[in-house]
Amino acid sequence: MALPPAVALSDVVLRYPGQPQPALRIERWQVAAGERVAVLGPSGSGKTSLLRLLNGSLQPEQGSVALLGAPLPARGRARRLARRRIGMVFQNFALIERATVWQNVLYGRLGHAHPWWSLLGRFSEADRQLAYDAIGEVGLLAKLQARVDSLSGGQRQRVAVARVLAQEPALILADEPVNNLDPKLVLEILDLLVAASSRRGATLIMSLHQPELARAYAARIVALAGGSVAWDAPAGQLTAPLLARIYGESGADAA
Amino acid sequence: MPPEVAPPPAAARRVPPPADRRSVTAWLGSFLALALVVWAWHGTEFEPSQLAASLPRLAEFFGRMLPPDWSVARTVMVGTLETLQIAILGTFLAVLASLVLGLMAASNLSPAWLHQPTKWLLGLLRGIPLLLLALIAVAAFGLGPLPGVLTIAIHATGMLGKFYAEAFENADPAPLEALASVGASWAQRIRFAALTQVAPDLVRDTLFRFELNLRESLVLGLVGAGGIGFYIQLYIRAFQYDKVATLTLVVLLMVVAIEQLSVWLRRRLR
Repeated sequence: MALPPAVALSDVVLRYPGQPQPALRIERWQVAAGERVAVLGPSGSGKTSLLRLLNGSLQPEQGSVALLGAPLPARGRARRLARRRIGMVFQNFALIERATVWQNVLYGRLGHAHPWWSLLGRFSEADRQLAYDAIGEVGLLAKLQARVDSLSGGQRQRVAVARVLAQEPALILADEPVNNLDPKLVLEILDLLVAASSRRGATLIMSLHQPELARAYAARIVALAGGSVAWDAPAGQLTAPLLARIYGESGADAA
Repeated sequence: MPPEVAPPPAAARRVPPPADRRSVTAWLGSFLALALVVWAWHGTEFEPSQLAASLPRLAEFFGRMLPPDWSVARTVMVGTLETLQIAILGTFLAVLASLVLGLMAASNLSPAWLHQPTKWLLGLLRGIPLLLLALIAVAAFGLGPLPGVLTIAIHATGMLGKFYAEAFENADPAPLEALASVGASWAQRIRFAALTQVAPDLVRDTLFRFELNLRESLVLGLVGAGGIGFYIQLYIRAFQYDKVATLTLVVLLMVVAIEQLSVWLRRRLR
């Protein structure tokens, strides 16, 4: 067990400007390398804040965030380079709609590409190969040169996953990756995420709305409530009464 | 038997429909607008009778335009092309300046200490009247197309920089955040997440501004800043209306042709 934890938070307080209540308050929380974690909790419980903190989009007001064995640098080039191996599947895909599938996935390599040549669209052979393989892995080679704005929702989510895979991520975050998808596509995308992360030995942390999906696809479940960790245990221990407690009064329809 | 229509709920019947009433502010606003028109009418001594009295002179003016004197067609064409060249080069310089200033003025891409002053600067540029700018440029750089190009470039930047900034501000922030998350640099995020998104808007704005630049550069020659405008004032002062007619036709043809081209191009963008 030489690998350091993928995530180690301690005494983290995250607050949005102008908000009196912190969005997150987590004393100690760790995720070991290679773990598969689902984050549950009602809307506003801090799921997205947690993922954006782990992704480096947000800075905590206090506390330390260590990712992949090293504290995340506060700013500058060091922070930029540290974020390259943390992949994030965003809510609503966050793709460049006018660009092609190929371009969107290739942009997953921007952190590794030459700072000036890349601006002219020049990428190294290795970067291009990684992007191509990632598109193959999500099964979209037939749409390689299609513009994203011509794709369906399920295809877009595949492009978003491929962009993450092109990063060669050691930590994969997914913010409600199946929220906007048809039920049939939900299982496809989750299968894809789980297979891709275990193939790489990457840690997978995803926020989900449905507890049954969390139970099926994650080994460990974390429930947030009011910005704090309310429950954290192996997926098998999640029971209906516990769910009712996590979701409060709306527990019935959540479960 | 037809299905019975349910009567409307009691509450809906009891409340009377609202009366058609204009508010005091609406009356006051209408009155004020009317007062302004009357004031302006009075001040300019705008007389319909004077219009009628000028009709014969107008007829004579148009009469002397016919037939157009085609002997100057070559001169006019060369001058018109110079105007076109002024508009093209002026637009090009304005695009370069507007890309930089537009980025600086975009509130989502630049910090407040930068985007607010840049917006003021662009407003200032828009505020300077075109002919005043042209007169200053001619005084500084001498007669010829150079001051014309600079005038167009500066004047157009005021509007185009603002349009570009608004286009950038309308860009979806999600792809910008996504590229930041893969470790892309600032330049890479602007190039791929921002520019790719707003490119059609920028091209549309540029074509629109180019049409305006073309029409504005027609009059620059009046103050010696190059192009066809020089001949406009030359022929009119010499009462050579048949030459003015040729000039008008050539200019009209060019402007309409370029506007049609621009409209067609803008419609194809997506």
